[in-house]
Formats: sequence, structure tokens, C-alpha cells
Amino acid sequence: MDMSFKEKSHWISLVSTICIFGYYFYNIVMLAGVPVEEAKDIAKDLLIQAIVLSVLVEIILHTMLAATNHKAAEMGADERDKLFEYRGNQVGYTILVVGVVITLGRIITIEYNPDFADHYSSLQIPLLTAHLLMFSFILSEVARFAVTLFNYRRGY
Amino acid sequence: MAESLIINRIREKRFFADEMTQQELADRVGVTRQTIMAIEKGKYSPSLEVAFKMAEVFECHLDDIFQYQAK
Repeated sequence: MDMSFKEKSHWISLVSTICIFGYYFYNIVMLAGVPVEEAKDIAKDLLIQAIVLSVLVEIILHTMLAATNHKAAEMGADERDKLFEYRGNQVGYTILVVGVVITLGRIITIEYNPDFADHYSSLQIPLLTAHLLMFSFILSEVARFAVTLFNYRRGY
Repeated sequence: MAESLIINRIREKRFFADEMTQQELADRVGVTRQTIMAIEKGKYSPSLEVAFKMAEVFECHLDDIFQYQAK
């Protein structure tokens, strides 16, 4: 498959984000039955692990990619790369905004109607608001990479 | 996406420029080889800046390389 440096870079980001944060969110959902205090610590550790691992994997894989292609790495994004990134950013930003608005709606609803939290927080996951924001962010990132890569694969 | 109405003769120009490679042209106009490939196939229309740089590389007028075909 004939791919530019930037396309390979986006594949690395997409796959690493899906794997690392997929594992993270799977474990967060699995915390549903765990006692709250214990679950809080586990959730915090999972979040730190996922972020640190994500940064490390990105640095290592991108360094390896750049090492195998110095010239392309130095050149950076050309106008076509920037156009595709712009299209990806548009979709990613929209998803992020929707996620933030939903989370804000939840916070305000709970503030005015505390019963809502007891009845509808069916997962009983500690730090649920933080996880919702994190989920919105990761989903927007995945969408951003996916749309950019879709443009690369279509060619225009 | 609508089919591009801009056609180009880059492949031909490269051939007559000592069979210049896509990579060589890409290096000279400051884009990736994949972008040159996409332009040649008519899948991507370059910016005016890149188009003018190509004309400079091939030492010809812009409309010798790119033509707009009205439907």
C-alpha cells in the first residue's frame, strides 16, 4: 500500500488510540459492580496508565517512523495533508462539542434533580462525569483520524 | 465529490523532461509524491502556488499543464 509519511502517522495514532483507550473504557465499564471507594482508585490508576501508555506509544512509534524516513519527516504536511487534516478536525470537533454539551446537560440535571443521579446512573461508575468527557475526547480523536484516513484512501 | 473539471498533462510533461520521476517533481514543488500522483490522476486540484511552481519546473505556461474543461 502506497502511503505518505503523514498517512502512516495517522494510522499509528488511530490504532494506538483504539487499542489503549478501548482497553481503558472496557475496564471502566467493568467497574460497575466494584465498591465505590475501591473503584475510584482503580479508575484513577487506569486513566493515568492509559495516558502515559498512549504518550509513550506515540513517541516510540513516531520516532521509529521518522527514523525510517528522514526526508518526509522533515518536510512535514503538504497542502493535501493539511486539507485532509482540516476535514478530520471538523468532524472531530463536532463530536467533541456534542460530548461536552451532553456532559454539561447531565451535570446541570443532577444539580437541579439529585434523584436523577440515583435512578439513571445505572452503571454506578465513580468519576462518571470525567469518564464521559474522556470518552467524548477519545471518540472525537478516533473520528478525526478515521475521517483523515478515509480521505487519504479515497485519494482526493 | 464531483469529478474534477481540471485536466492536466503532468505525466506528459514529466516524460518530456527527461522522464522526471514523481518524487523529483514532488521535491521541486514541495509536496509529497502521493500528492503528485493524486494530481496526475485528477483526484486532487493543487493550489495556485503549486501549479505555478510546476509551470516553472517545466518552463511553460500554466495552461500548458492545466486546462479547465467546462461541461
